[in-house]
Amino acid sequence: MKSKIINMVDRLKDKEDLKLEALFDTEPVPDDGFSHKVVARVRRRIWVQRLSLPIAFVIGGAIAVKPLSQLIGVVLKLFAFIPQNISKNIDKVPLEQLPPVSSILVAASLVVALLLAGKLLQD
Amino acid sequence: MQELEDNELVIRVVVQQDTAAFGELVRRHQSHVRNFLRKLTRDFVLADDLAQDCFLHAWDKIQTFSGTGSFIGWLLKVAYTTFLQSKRKSSRYGEVLEQIGTESQTMAAGAAGPSDEISDLDRFLAVLTEDERAVMILSYACGLSHREISDAADMPVGTVKSVIFRGKEKIRASFEIEDHQYG
Repeated sequence: MKSKIINMVDRLKDKEDLKLEALFDTEPVPDDGFSHKVVARVRRRIWVQRLSLPIAFVIGGAIAVKPLSQLIGVVLKLFAFIPQNISKNIDKVPLEQLPPVSSILVAASLVVALLLAGKLLQD
Repeated sequence: MQELEDNELVIRVVVQQDTAAFGELVRRHQSHVRNFLRKLTRDFVLADDLAQDCFLHAWDKIQTFSGTGSFIGWLLKVAYTTFLQSKRKSSRYGEVLEQIGTESQTMAAGAAGPSDEISDLDRFLAVLTEDERAVMILSYACGLSHREISDAADMPVGTVKSVIFRGKEKIRASFEIEDHQYG
């Protein structure tokens, strides 16, 4: 008896479902250039993704070039200076010959950033 | 490209970033996605904007398609998520729905109104909540199975069935349909 009732309900539902399907049924939407627009946006996105990292690298490099060259100059001076005098005259190095601490920190952080960017490019 | 199955096209997209394969997927399924969003929003311009966003999200996340269900089911899930995200950001959807609701109430009350401008479907959808509307559209307009709807709307199969049941009850009650016949 119970199964009969369930079957009747199912049949009734099916009829309803068909009516609802007919009500919800609509004509297919013509493409009218929609897929071309989407693909064009996807291609633009790919280009932006491909270009963004090299552009960021170039900009970062341009910003870093001045402090980096200063750092290299200082390091070269130090290398030229240390071997001759480190053992005897280390206490006599004039402070004005050393770069300011802030310059060293900025240059060091730029080097770290460049190394990280290089690592990202490699990945 | 046209003779390839959806899953083969998806593999090409994932492995080679093949935009032509993705274009073929868009061509195949744009009608379903746009129809779903048009019914959900009742605003064709907004729906088409959302459909474009949906396909861009699909491009970004296509590697998450497992291939166990149908691609259109997965795509409609992306479309529904895009719709929900957009609704949180924009008030336009709310305004459109409010307008439809008001017009529907006017029609249901028997007042003189622009009968040509509102279809039976609009009036039926206006009495449903957002979840019910989405599930009913996925079921009756997109023809998804209960399991596919469960995936797309992120709710258990049992809940999908009860939402459909509740939706039908609401339609019957709102339009005083006693013999379970619509139209």
